[in-house]
Amino acid sequence: METLTHILHGFVVATQPINLWYTFLGVFMGTIIGVLPGIGPSAGIALLIPITYGMNPTSALIMMAGIYYGAKYGGSTTAILIRTPGEAASVMTSIDGYEMAKKGRAGAALAVSAIGSFIAGTIGVIGLTLFAVPLTSMALKFGPAEYFTLMLFAMTAVSTLTGKSPAKGIIATILGLMIATIGIDLQSGQARYTMGIPEFQDGVGFVVVVVGLFAMAEVLRGLEGIYRGTSAEAMKIKGKLWLTREEWRRSIGPIWRGGIIGFVIGVLPGAGGTIAAIMSYTTEKRLSKHPEEFGHGAIEGVAGPESANNSDTAGALVPLLTLGIPGGGATAVMLGAFIMYGVQPGPMLFQTRPDLVWGLINSMYIGNVMLVVLNLPLIGLFVRLLYIPQGILYPMIVAISAIGAYAINGSVVDLWLILLFGVIGYIFDKVDIPVAPLVLSLVLGGMMEQSFRQAMTISGGELKIFYGSAITVTLLVMSLISVMLPFIIPRLRAMGSKGDES
Amino acid sequence: MTDRIIFVCALLLAGVYFWGTAQIPSLELGDPLGPKAFPRMLGVGLLIAAAMLLAEILNNRKKAVTDGDDSGGFKWEPHDWVVLGVVAWTALYIVLFEPLGYMLATLIYLLVLTGYFNRGRHLMNSLSCVLFVAISYFAFTKLLGVNLARGIIPF
Repeated sequence: METLTHILHGFVVATQPINLWYTFLGVFMGTIIGVLPGIGPSAGIALLIPITYGMNPTSALIMMAGIYYGAKYGGSTTAILIRTPGEAASVMTSIDGYEMAKKGRAGAALAVSAIGSFIAGTIGVIGLTLFAVPLTSMALKFGPAEYFTLMLFAMTAVSTLTGKSPAKGIIATILGLMIATIGIDLQSGQARYTMGIPEFQDGVGFVVVVVGLFAMAEVLRGLEGIYRGTSAEAMKIKGKLWLTREEWRRSIGPIWRGGIIGFVIGVLPGAGGTIAAIMSYTTEKRLSKHPEEFGHGAIEGVAGPESANNSDTAGALVPLLTLGIPGGGATAVMLGAFIMYGVQPGPMLFQTRPDLVWGLINSMYIGNVMLVVLNLPLIGLFVRLLYIPQGILYPMIVAISAIGAYAINGSVVDLWLILLFGVIGYIFDKVDIPVAPLVLSLVLGGMMEQSFRQAMTISGGELKIFYGSAITVTLLVMSLISVMLPFIIPRLRAMGSKGDES
Repeated sequence: MTDRIIFVCALLLAGVYFWGTAQIPSLELGDPLGPKAFPRMLGVGLLIAAAMLLAEILNNRKKAVTDGDDSGGFKWEPHDWVVLGVVAWTALYIVLFEPLGYMLATLIYLLVLTGYFNRGRHLMNSLSCVLFVAISYFAFTKLLGVNLARGIIPF
């Protein structure tokens, strides 16, 4: 009953004029960020943090969540019209969406993306509403050892599931943890790895790392693309921006299934929107009576993945809000934003700040309605952004990043860090080292070390605290499985194919 | 080739990190582990990850020999010079950011980059750069209260 009261009060918070305005601003900026190459949702949220310091945390977080799920809507526009996903999770949309656009059905592809995103996004938020409370009751039993093993699981899952090589994923994770150890150690007061630079005493801010790895690296890749002549041109929207009766009939099943697949995958750490979209695509292809149409403009190939990658965002907020542990790069940045505003997500937040949590969750119902309204009639306006010459756009992204970084401490050291991490991100992309594990471990690193040391203090220096409860053992086994899985699966496949041959 | 470079870099980084850890003074008051234990675990973790990478390299080499595939080398190409140029130009922008101020440094930075990457459209480039710099400066400093370097411009 108390929970129901909190949920209803959350609607009162979400519908306050100021919060409606920030929901709108968030989804509007999110759509633009999704459409434009360069600043993805992670860098977009990170850049806004220093600028929105003085704001009320509820409104600021509502706006940032709006950017996060709004970017998914915008990402599909770029995927359909220039076959380049505006953000990674739209990669599957670009296959059949672009083929539909070539056949003059760009309007239908954009419409099914917007409608699918709306329905699936709402399915995701309903899932978030339903699962949040039971998970928080479980999370209240967590002590430092449970939190340490939970973070270990999140990191191992993200490091081995993103990217092509598990070893490189783990290297990225450890690099992030190492960066997190820079600065004054909170327990002993000792400076660690500061190299005599006063700005490093507070540690390396995650904002500059995220902006460097995502925005600056993308600028370098984009400018390289212009020089090599590989940047794509946007197609014109042809056809009505609505679906025919037949297209509706073919889309509705994939939308529902995509919504459920996306939510479930979103809750799991490491998987993320891209895997949700791929799973939805393969499911639809398997279920279809015309699998041969996939890859040549099948509307199911747009409706399913686009729905999956939208409900994934709500799913990804489940572990972040209930446990305080993000399961990927973008939610790690969201966690960073929460912490910057002095709000610690996790089970206690549902008791201490129910207005903030439920205001934020319920604002997503409203945000999804705003997005579908924005993305259908105003799609032409957003598409115009694709016609901005990229030779002008990319340099301006550097300037915006410089403003965001300089705003943190008024120090050029942060600008140097953006450049450094931009170069690192560019090189990492070339050599297939994923950056999401680095961001996740950077944000979680401090908390992870604290949990480890607290657990060891409680146990008097005995490691058995980490295998003393069912929760920690389960999480340790899951961590081990997630590390071993990428090595076991290819061997099983090889054994299977050998078996088939014989 | 690139994987072997990553392997060597990981070993070097682990070495530097162990050295940096040894430099931290130890004061273990009420904390059985102290500030060095977690970093030491990370150093060991990096060595294990490097060993995993070595296993992948050897495995891939075996596969490449059986498949007859000998690709994967790194070659310096003309576009790498362009990226290096952008990095160097951005470094110069950072050096001049405070002495010249946000407006002037950013304007020069943008004019050069747009002139190179959006060639032949001088009027469009100049107009966009001037408008962007002016609008962003006043929006961030006057409306949002963000402190940006003034430099030699007195407002």
